[in-house]
Amino acid sequence: MYDEETHGPNQVTGFGAATDPLSLENEDFMIILAHLEQWREQGAISPEQYSLLANLSRREPISLFLGLNVLLYAGVLAFVAGLGWTVTTWSKQMGDVLVLAILSTILAACFWYCFSRAPAWSLAETVAPTAVFDYVLYLGSLVWCIELAYLESRFHVLSGQWDLYLLATAVLFFFLAYRFDNRFVLSLALSSLAGWFGLKISHWPSHQDAVYRQCALLYCLLVGVGGAILQRRGLKPHFFGTYLNIVANVLFWALLSGVFNQEGYGVWFLALVLACGTSLAWGLKRRQFAFVAYAAIYGYVGVSSILIRGINDETAVLSYFVITAIAMLVALVLIARRFGRAA
Amino acid sequence: MRIYTASSQETLRARKLLTDWAGEGFITKAQYERLEQDTVSELRTTNIFLRLVLFVFTLICIGAATALFFRVFLSQPSEQTSGIFLLIFAVVCYAAAEVAVSQGRLYHFGIEEALVVCAVGFFCAGMQAAFFTFSFYSPKPNLAQFMVPAAGGVFSLWIWRRFGYSYAFLAAMVFALFLPRYWTSSHAAQHVIVAMFYAAGLICVAAVRPRHTFDYLADAYLLVEAFLWLGIYLAVNLQLSSLNLRAQWLGIGTTAASEFARPFYWTTWVLIWVLPLVALARGIRQKDRFVIAVGAIVAVLTFVSNKPYLGWPRHTWDPMLLGILLTGVALIIRRWLARGPDGIRRGFTAARLSGRDKQWMNAGSAVLGLVAPQSITPSPQTTSTDFRFGGGASGGGGASGDF
Repeated sequence: MYDEETHGPNQVTGFGAATDPLSLENEDFMIILAHLEQWREQGAISPEQYSLLANLSRREPISLFLGLNVLLYAGVLAFVAGLGWTVTTWSKQMGDVLVLAILSTILAACFWYCFSRAPAWSLAETVAPTAVFDYVLYLGSLVWCIELAYLESRFHVLSGQWDLYLLATAVLFFFLAYRFDNRFVLSLALSSLAGWFGLKISHWPSHQDAVYRQCALLYCLLVGVGGAILQRRGLKPHFFGTYLNIVANVLFWALLSGVFNQEGYGVWFLALVLACGTSLAWGLKRRQFAFVAYAAIYGYVGVSSILIRGINDETAVLSYFVITAIAMLVALVLIARRFGRAA
Repeated sequence: MRIYTASSQETLRARKLLTDWAGEGFITKAQYERLEQDTVSELRTTNIFLRLVLFVFTLICIGAATALFFRVFLSQPSEQTSGIFLLIFAVVCYAAAEVAVSQGRLYHFGIEEALVVCAVGFFCAGMQAAFFTFSFYSPKPNLAQFMVPAAGGVFSLWIWRRFGYSYAFLAAMVFALFLPRYWTSSHAAQHVIVAMFYAAGLICVAAVRPRHTFDYLADAYLLVEAFLWLGIYLAVNLQLSSLNLRAQWLGIGTTAASEFARPFYWTTWVLIWVLPLVALARGIRQKDRFVIAVGAIVAVLTFVSNKPYLGWPRHTWDPMLLGILLTGVALIIRRWLARGPDGIRRGFTAARLSGRDKQWMNAGSAVLGLVAPQSITPSPQTTSTDFRFGGGASGGGGASGDF
């Protein structure tokens, strides 16, 4: 067992900096440094790599990459939220012309920035030309939504046919996502397409009727097949994971809603079992363990709802959960031991 | 005291660093495969998804087994009897977790984590039922009942220390929240006591941290310190602690000013401006990105809660100003760092240095792009019969919203 006394000096000298003697002694216990030294001597890594990796393992330098990106994202969201709120509250006082002028100016500025700075289009993954590029595009996309909603609400251009707006928005966002290689906008596109299919994700628990289910299945089919074709053609193949995760979750929710039906749930149950099997096989084959988790959780919920349906004996129900949970644990441990080591 | 040996955890850390470096391209795939063989640990680990699923099913299993035991063997037991059995279950769960780690060599595997979580839960519920009546939320609680959250906190700290789960420390902080209500009815005193607890924890952590600047415990201490800074801030910020922020944001709530004495209220207002600066300064000085992140978060929270504090009305454009501020700060920092030699200044860089950051960005951008538009548009502050602007209720970034 670990003994604190064997692991470092017990002196306390206050807040430690990276270069204080305590920290330097502390380095003696870094296995990674010993390994790096060994690997350099063996020629497994170059001296330049050794220098870089040794510094990184001593946290030199510290990367603020993630934090700065979160700050940018939060900034865009806060700005758009305030913009939407302001337009909502003050549109009457401001007047249509001013509102549309402001929104159009922001929109035009965002798209001008993106189109003027975008690198040449490529089938493969491309790096954003500037640090804020992705966020400017995301801002433009969100402002587009606000402007479109304002236009329709004030002028009824399409007589309230929101589905057409959603379709047009989805098409535009797909174009922007593929043109600029942007996952934020790809998610917006998939979300808009879901809206066009009448898929109100936030209302799922209370609307488990057949129409929603059919729309969801059609959506899954379209997005799944579309994503697979694009991936096969080598068109931004790194987007495929986003497609698959969204399709898997929508599909499982749709199938579960069918399984929860009081009648005619047999077909949905079979479909759920099939989907779980496919998800499990895909997850294990591709080492994408999110799909293994989907299969386990959604499958367990679906199967349990069928098996304990109509059972009123609490002891039987509790016994069921004990036995099946143990069975699931055994199966998952076997999977984890065989496949799931890598994070 | 720790259940895992230092060498095994250092080996795991080395392995994780290798994965990070390979993900960022600092070493080639061939090098990674070669070097990985030197960092084989005897501990059994798994990935985050299987860990979560294993955790959930272990919880289901333990919960159902416990309920089944009570159902089969104890018909309508007294509270004391139930409590004693819950305490026994707590011991069994904890022992099982120890065995799972020592015999099964599980490391952050989900199963042993669920076992210790259940152990803490059963322990607190058992103490409550065995020694006190169930009146946890009564206006005048039994003073001795503070033993329940106190014991829960101590047990959680023990688990954090022994197993290294950062969320166990967080649980201990939550238990500490419940303690002052048994000692005083003054809300101001309760806030002060909680803040003092966290400050004492911060002093202890700050004293211990220098011993572990570079070893496998460094991240654990960094995270715990960040939790404590956040805890102190939340305990001090009366507007956030009142849990009525949404109402205050929308201008329909009341400030907490009337609940507290004026000197105390305005002292906390000064503190919510000072604490972010102190946390940021400490994070920058210690090169601790968790504390820097918490400093940034609490700074934003200060901006958000300042107007409710002062009793000023909110404006619809406040979030826009906040957004411009956040974006501006991010750009200025990024540009300042990029202009340093090799893009580094004072030991910080804006460049990505970890494959894990790339994974977080990819996953985060997909998920946040999907869910955020539905939640960014608040309800109107003032309603007008002609203009109603909901939004973002059904994807499409709000394009399906109605006016």
